[in-house]
Amino acid sequence: MNFEEIEEQDGTRFSWNVFPASRLDATRTVVPISCLYTPLKEREDLPPIYYEPVTCKAPCRAILNPYCQIDVRGKLWICPFCLQRNAFPPHYKDISNTNLPAELLPKFTTIEYTLARAAQVPPIFLFVVDTCLEDDDLKALKDSLVVSLSLLPSSALVGLITYGTMAQVHELGYSECPKSYVFRGTKEYSSKQIQEMLGLSGVGIRQSLQRPGPSGVPQSASRFLLPVEQCDFQLTSILEQLQRDPWPVANDKRSQRCTGVAMSVAIGLMETTFSGTGARIMLFCGGAATEGPGMFYDALAKRASTNGHIVDIFAGCLDQVGLLEMKSMVNSTGGFMILSDSFTTAIFKQSFQRVFNKDTQGNLQMGFNATLDVQTTREMRVCGLIGHAISANKKSASVAETEIGIANTSAWKMCGITPKSTAAIYFEVVSQHGQPLQPGSRGLIQFLTHYQHSSGQFRLRVTTVARNFAEGNSPQIAQSFDQEAAAVLMARIAVFKAEIDDGPDVLRWLDRMLIRLCQKFADYRKDDPSSFRLAENFSIYPQFMFHLRRSQFLQVFNNSPDETAFYRHVLNREDVNNSLIMIQPTLMSYGFDQPPQPVLLDSISIKPDVILLLDTFFHILIFHGETIAQWRKAGYQDQEGYENFKELLELPKNDSEELLADRFPIPRYIVCDQHGSQARFLLSKLNPSTTHVSGGMYGAPQGQAIFTDDVKNTMAIAPITGKIRKILI
Amino acid sequence: QLQPSIQQQPSQFFTPAGDQNYASTTAAPTQYGQQFSQPQQPSSMAGMTNQFSNMGLGGPSQSQLVPTHLIGIPPNIMDLDAPPPTINLPLNTSVTPSDKANCDPSYKRSTLNTIPATSSLLSKSRLPLGLVITPYRSLKEGDDPVPVVTDTVIARCRRCRTYINPFVTFAEGGQKWKCNMCFLLNEVPQQFDWDIQTNKQADRWKRAELNHAVVEFVAPTEYMVRPPQPPVYLFVIDVSYPAVQSGVVATAARTILESLDRIPNEENRTKIGFITVDTSLHFYSLNSNASVPQMLVVSDIEDVFLPQPDDLLVNLTEARTVVESLLGSLGDMFKDTQTVGNALGSALLAGFKLISPIGGKIVVLQSSLPNINPGSLKARDDPKMLGTPKESSLLQSADPFYKKFAVDCSRSQVCVDMFLLGSQYSDVATLGCCPRYTGGQTYFYPAFNAGRSEDALKFAHEFAEFLASPIALEAVMRVRASKGIRMSAFHGNFFVRQTDLLALPNVSRDHSYTIEVDIEENITTQTVCFQTALLHTTCFGERRIRVLTLALPVTNSISELFASADQVAITTLLANKAVERSLSSKLEDARDALTNKMIDILGVYKSALTSSQSGASPQLQICNNLKLLPLLSLGLLKHVGLRASSQIPTDLRSYAMCLLTTMPSQLLIPYLHPRFYSLHNMSQEAGTYGTEGIIMPRPFNLSSEKLERHGAYLLEDSQNIFIWIGKQVSPQLCMDLLDVRSYEEIRAGKVTLPQLDNVFSQRVNAIIGKTREMRRGVYYPHLYIIKEDGDPSLRLWFLSHIIEDRTDTVMSYPQWLAHLKDKMVEQVSPIGRFYY
Ligand SMILES: [Zn+2]
Ligand SMILES: [Zn+2]
Repeated sequence: MNFEEIEEQDGTRFSWNVFPASRLDATRTVVPISCLYTPLKEREDLPPIYYEPVTCKAPCRAILNPYCQIDVRGKLWICPFCLQRNAFPPHYKDISNTNLPAELLPKFTTIEYTLARAAQVPPIFLFVVDTCLEDDDLKALKDSLVVSLSLLPSSALVGLITYGTMAQVHELGYSECPKSYVFRGTKEYSSKQIQEMLGLSGVGIRQSLQRPGPSGVPQSASRFLLPVEQCDFQLTSILEQLQRDPWPVANDKRSQRCTGVAMSVAIGLMETTFSGTGARIMLFCGGAATEGPGMFYDALAKRASTNGHIVDIFAGCLDQVGLLEMKSMVNSTGGFMILSDSFTTAIFKQSFQRVFNKDTQGNLQMGFNATLDVQTTREMRVCGLIGHAISANKKSASVAETEIGIANTSAWKMCGITPKSTAAIYFEVVSQHGQPLQPGSRGLIQFLTHYQHSSGQFRLRVTTVARNFAEGNSPQIAQSFDQEAAAVLMARIAVFKAEIDDGPDVLRWLDRMLIRLCQKFADYRKDDPSSFRLAENFSIYPQFMFHLRRSQFLQVFNNSPDETAFYRHVLNREDVNNSLIMIQPTLMSYGFDQPPQPVLLDSISIKPDVILLLDTFFHILIFHGETIAQWRKAGYQDQEGYENFKELLELPKNDSEELLADRFPIPRYIVCDQHGSQARFLLSKLNPSTTHVSGGMYGAPQGQAIFTDDVKNTMAIAPITGKIRKILI
Repeated sequence: QLQPSIQQQPSQFFTPAGDQNYASTTAAPTQYGQQFSQPQQPSSMAGMTNQFSNMGLGGPSQSQLVPTHLIGIPPNIMDLDAPPPTINLPLNTSVTPSDKANCDPSYKRSTLNTIPATSSLLSKSRLPLGLVITPYRSLKEGDDPVPVVTDTVIARCRRCRTYINPFVTFAEGGQKWKCNMCFLLNEVPQQFDWDIQTNKQADRWKRAELNHAVVEFVAPTEYMVRPPQPPVYLFVIDVSYPAVQSGVVATAARTILESLDRIPNEENRTKIGFITVDTSLHFYSLNSNASVPQMLVVSDIEDVFLPQPDDLLVNLTEARTVVESLLGSLGDMFKDTQTVGNALGSALLAGFKLISPIGGKIVVLQSSLPNINPGSLKARDDPKMLGTPKESSLLQSADPFYKKFAVDCSRSQVCVDMFLLGSQYSDVATLGCCPRYTGGQTYFYPAFNAGRSEDALKFAHEFAEFLASPIALEAVMRVRASKGIRMSAFHGNFFVRQTDLLALPNVSRDHSYTIEVDIEENITTQTVCFQTALLHTTCFGERRIRVLTLALPVTNSISELFASADQVAITTLLANKAVERSLSSKLEDARDALTNKMIDILGVYKSALTSSQSGASPQLQICNNLKLLPLLSLGLLKHVGLRASSQIPTDLRSYAMCLLTTMPSQLLIPYLHPRFYSLHNMSQEAGTYGTEGIIMPRPFNLSSEKLERHGAYLLEDSQNIFIWIGKQVSPQLCMDLLDVRSYEEIRAGKVTLPQLDNVFSQRVNAIIGKTREMRRGVYYPHLYIIKEDGDPSLRLWFLSHIIEDRTDTVMSYPQWLAHLKDKMVEQVSPIGRFYY
C-alpha cells in the first residue's frame, strides 16, 4: 500500500488503512482511526467540472461518487451512506457503463465542482497596520504593503486600518482629503458601536445608505473598502505618508499599542459590511498590545470565523507581540501566522509576498469562506477535527460520542484555506464487537469542502474514501499502519491537549499511548529485552514520539509563548511530511568522500571535515565543520585546484535554496561554523549521544556511524525503545 | 461737614527743596514745581471754573436741579445723545491739570455723578447706584488711543493695591504718594522719574498715569503666571445636514479664509484649529509640512478624546497653506452629507481639551439644535407658554451642561462665542450660557439661508468683523473703590471669581459690564474714587493692565443726587437688572419692578424735591437730566426682550437679553429707543457730506402720528433698519429709491437697497451707511422694506418700535405717564411707603 500515492490522489493520509471492525477492536489499536486531509491538494489531472454535483436525498445529501452502485438502465444510483435509491437527473440520461461522468470514475475519488454560483463581491483584504514602529521598520512594512497592492487582483477590495495609541480606519473613498475614523485605544467597542461610529448604521443617517450599490457592495462600506484599481493611488499615498504613532511614550513604558481595539474595529467593520463574504484581515503587529486579554481575542476570533473572515497575523518584533493571546483569531479562521524579528527581515518580506502566490491561471492560491463537511457510513462516526477551523455545529448522524479536538459536529468552518491546509480528522467505529463481518465490507468517508475560489466562483471539492474493515486480530490492520501519519495525528492530539492541560500530563499520556501501541503490536518475549521487535511500519514511530516529546511543541520552556503559539500554529496546518520535519528535523551531511546523505540527529554527526545542513522546517542551518570553516576562511574555494572544495561549499547552499523555494513561512536561514556562536542552535537540536559512545563530551568522533538507505530506520531510538522495553518486559 | 481734602491741599503744594530730594539725580526737577504751581494757585476761582468747565473738573459748584414737566410734552429725544451730567469735583482734586484726568463716560460712567455720603440717602433717593464699564471699547476715527506706560514702573498702594492715578497726592517732597482710596502714604518707586529710554531724569508730570484716567501699564513679570498666551481660535462648525443646506458651512469657511490676514496675528503667534461636528467630531490635522489637511473622525462622542497629540491646533502663519487648503474645500467636504444630528457638547469638550492648555477662543457656528448628549437639547419652545408666567422657564438654561462647561472654560482662559444660525428653534437661552460666563458673545441669525444674499452678507460681514476684532486675553477685572463703597452685584458676560474678581478669558470689544454699588459706611471724604483694573494679555503678546479711574464728588443732598443722575447709565443698569429678574423670576416681575422703580423715583422727586408733598396734582415732574428716563423705561418695557406678548419667539427674547446685558450705552440706547427719520421730506443737507461726515436727518419721536400716507421713513435700532413706505408714496420716490415704477411693485421684506444713479438714492444710501458705521460692535443690520398695507407681521414688527404709541397690550407714552402718576398717588398716600 503506497500511502504517498493515495495522498497524491485524495490528499488523505490515514493512520490505519484497514479499519478494525468493531468499537472494541478500534479502541485496542490505540492510535485512533484518523487522517490528515489536505482538501485543496493540488492535483494536475483533475478535470474542470462545470456542472452541479448530483446529491442524495435529504437529509443525507451525500454526493455521487465512484463508490456508488449505479443502475445505468434504470438511471438510478444507490447512495452508499444512507443506502437510498436516487434517480439520476434528466441530463444524465445518456449514462452507460462506458459513458460515465467523471465523478463516477475510480480515479476521481477526489473531484472538484465549479459551481454556478459566483461570489457577489471579489475577495477583500483589510490591512491592520501597527504604527508604533521604528522608522526603518515602518518604512519596510509600508514598502511591502505598497508592493502587495500590485500582487492583488485588481478587482479585490482593500481597506486600511492603522493603529498605535489609537486605531484609525481610513476612508479610501473620500476625495477631498485624507480621512480616517479614530477609535480610542483603551476602550472596548461593541460591534454596534463600531457600525454607528463608522456611519454604517444607526441614528443620524438621513437617508438609508445601506442599499447596495453596483457590484453588491453596500455604498456605506465602499467608503472604506474599494477595489484596488480604484484606490491604488490614494492608498499608496496614505501608506507612503504614514507616520510613526505620534503619541509620546514615557521612557520607562512601551508604546501604547491598541492591537485589540484595532482588531475589534476591523472585525466589526467587516462584520457589518461583508458578513459571509471572503475576506482577509491582515494584522501587521510590531510589538505587544497594551490591551486585550486572551478571552477578548477568542470572542473576536469567533465573530470573524462566524462571518467567514480570515485573520492573519504578521508579527515583526524581537520581543513578544502577544501571539499567545491572539492566536485564536488566526487558528479559528485559517489565517497565516508569520513570526519575524522585524518587518525588514526576509522572513517577513518573502513570506508576505508568498501569501499572494498565484496558480497557473493567475489566481491567488487561497480559498475563502471554506467549510468542511464529513459524512461517514453508518459503522463509523466522526469524533472531531484538529486544525484551523471552528465547529459549524452540524449535529448529523455522523457525529461521534467520543470527542477529539473540535468535536460534536460533522462540519467545520475553515474560512481561509490554501492548497496546503491540512486538517486532522478523527473517527470511531460504532459497530458492536462480535457481529459477523460481511465480506468486502468497508467504511466510507466523504469529505465535502465548499469554498469561494479566489477567482470568485464557489467550488465544491469532494473526496470519497473507502477502507476495508477487518477483524480485530487481522494482521491486515497492523500492515495498514501509516506510522508517519499516525505520528503527526498523535502529535496534533498532544498539542491540542497541551493547549488545555499541563505539559507533564500530556507527556505521560503520550508515553502511555506509545506503550499501549507497542504492547499491542510489538513482538517480544517476557523477560527477554533483546527479543523486542517492531514491524518495519511501526519501527520508527517510537522515535517520532521521542522527538515529539523533546520538541518545541511540547517543551515550551525554551521558547517564548509567542514562539510556542507560532510553532503549534504551523504544525496544525501542514501535511505529514512537513510536520515530520518539524517533529524530527533532518540533518544532511556533505563531505568529500561520499554524496550528501542524511545523518543521525546526534552530535556524532559533527565532524571537522563535513558540512551539515539542518532543516527543522522553521530553521535551515548550514554548519561548517572546523576544518571546512578554516579552509573557507583561508579562501581556498577561490583558488585554482580547489574547485571540489568550492563545489562542496555550494552544494548545501543549493540544497537549502531548494528547501526554501517551497516553504511557508520562510524559515530562518543560518550559516555558521563549528565553535561559532550560532552553532549553539544546531547543538541544541542534537542528541548528545557521543557521551554514550565515547564518554567524551564534544570530543572527536570515535566511530563511524553506519548509514543505510533509510536513515530514519536506524536513527538513535535507544533511549525510547529502551524505556519501552523496560516497561513492557 | 468739613472738607478735609481741601484743607489738606496746601500740603500738596510742593516747593522745590533742592537736590536732596533727588539725590541720585543731577538734574534739578525745576519743571516739576513750576508746572505744578501754576494751576494750583489760580488768581481767580471763576477763571478756573471756566477753564475746566468742559472737562468736568469745575469747581465745587453744585449741580443745579432743573425741574421739567413730563405730561403733555413730547419727549425731547435730541437729548438722548447729550453728555451725562457734569462731574463737579472740588478744585484741584486731580494732581495734574489734564483734561483727561477723569474717566470718559464711554469707558466708565456712573448712574449718579455725585455719590451719596450715606446709604440712607441713597435708599431714600430710590435712584440706583451703579457703574457701566466698557473697558475694551473700540476706537473710531478721531478717538484718542489709550496712553501706555511702557517702563513697567507701576506704583500701587501697599495696602489697598490701588494704581497710582491722577487723584493721588504727593507728600514729603514728592518722595511719597498718598493713596486716594485708603490714604496710605506710599513710597514713589525709584524709577518713577527716570526715562529708561534716554537714561535721564524725566518729568514726573508728564507721566500718563498722572494725566489720564484711562491708561494702560505694560505689566512686568510679576503679573504673569506664565508667558503671555498667543491668540487661539478654535472653530467648532456644525456640518450636519441643515448646516450644509443653509450654506452656513460654505459661507463660514469662505469668510474665515478671507479673514486670515485680519485675524489678530501681529507676532505670528496666533494658533488656529478646526473641529467640524455632526453626529461625529471631525478633527483636522494641519501639519505645516502637508499641503492638504487630514480629517480625523472621532465618533466616540460619549467619551471624547483628541485623535492625535499634535497638529490639531497649529500656528496660523506656519500652517497657512494647509489651513487655506482646508478652508478652500470645507464648503464642499460635506456637500453630500445626509447626517442629521449634532453633538455640540462633545465638540465643546474636545475643543476644550485641545485649547485649554493655552486658553483662547472657541468659535461655535451652530445651525442645528444639539441632540446628542452631553448637552443634548430639545425643541422646547412651546407657543402655548408664551405670554404666560411659564414663559420665563423657556428663557432659562435647559441643561446645566453649558454653564458648567463655561465655568471650566473660565478657569482655563477659554472663551466661547456662539454664532447661532439655525432655521428652527436654536435654544439661545441655553447655548448662550457659554458666552455668558466666558466673556464671549452670542450672535443670532434666525432662519439663516445663505441663498439669500442679504443673509450671507450680514453674517459674513459680522463674522469677518468679529474675526478681525482685537481681543484681550486671559483677563481679570476688578473694581476698587474708596472706603465705604462696595461692589455688590455684577452684570454682563464673565464669571465672578473670589467675590469681586471678574474672570474674562477674552475681553470682547465693546462689551459693557454693569456693576451695582452699595454704600456700606458713611463716606466722610469730599470725593470718592472708582478704579477699574483690567489685567490682560494683548493680541500681540504683551501683559498689560488697563486702568480706568473715575473720581466723583460726595454729597449729602438728595437734590444733588437727582441733579447728577445719568439717565443713560440708569437705563443701562435697569435693563441689566430687568433681564436678571426675568431669568431668576418672571418677565412680569421684571416689568413690575421696572414700573415700580419709575414710580419710586418720580415719587421721591415729587415728595422730596417739589413743594407738593402729597396728594394729586395735574403734573408729573422730574429734573431735566432724567426727563427721558420714563421714555427709555417705556422703551425697555416694550422691548422685544421684555414686552408682554404671546407672539415673541423665545429665541428672539433670549437673544435680545444677551444684547441688553452686553451692549455699551451707545448701542443700547438706540436698541431701546430706535432712531426714526422721515426720508421723503428730510432736509436738503441730510444724507450729504458735512464737516463731520454724512449729515443725518433730524430724528422723529417714535409716534405714528408722524407717518404720512405719501411718506417714506427709516427706523433703526442698531440691529435692524426698516424703511416704511406709505400707500400713497409718489411713483418718483419709488423709482428713485427702489427702481420700481409704483408702490404696488415694491417688494417688501429683507432687501438690499439698490444704489441708483439719482441724488435721493445716494442720500438714503449714505444715511444707511452712516447708520451702520455709527454703532459700536460688529453688527451689520438687515434692511427691511415695510409697506403700509403689506405683510401684517412685518407691519406689526415695525410698529412695535413706535413706542410712544399704544401697541396692542402696552400703553402709549402719555398713558404710561398717566399710569405712573396714578400709581404714585396711590403710593404716596399717608400709609404709603415714603416715610423718611
Ligand atoms: Zn445518501
Ligand atoms: Zn490705598
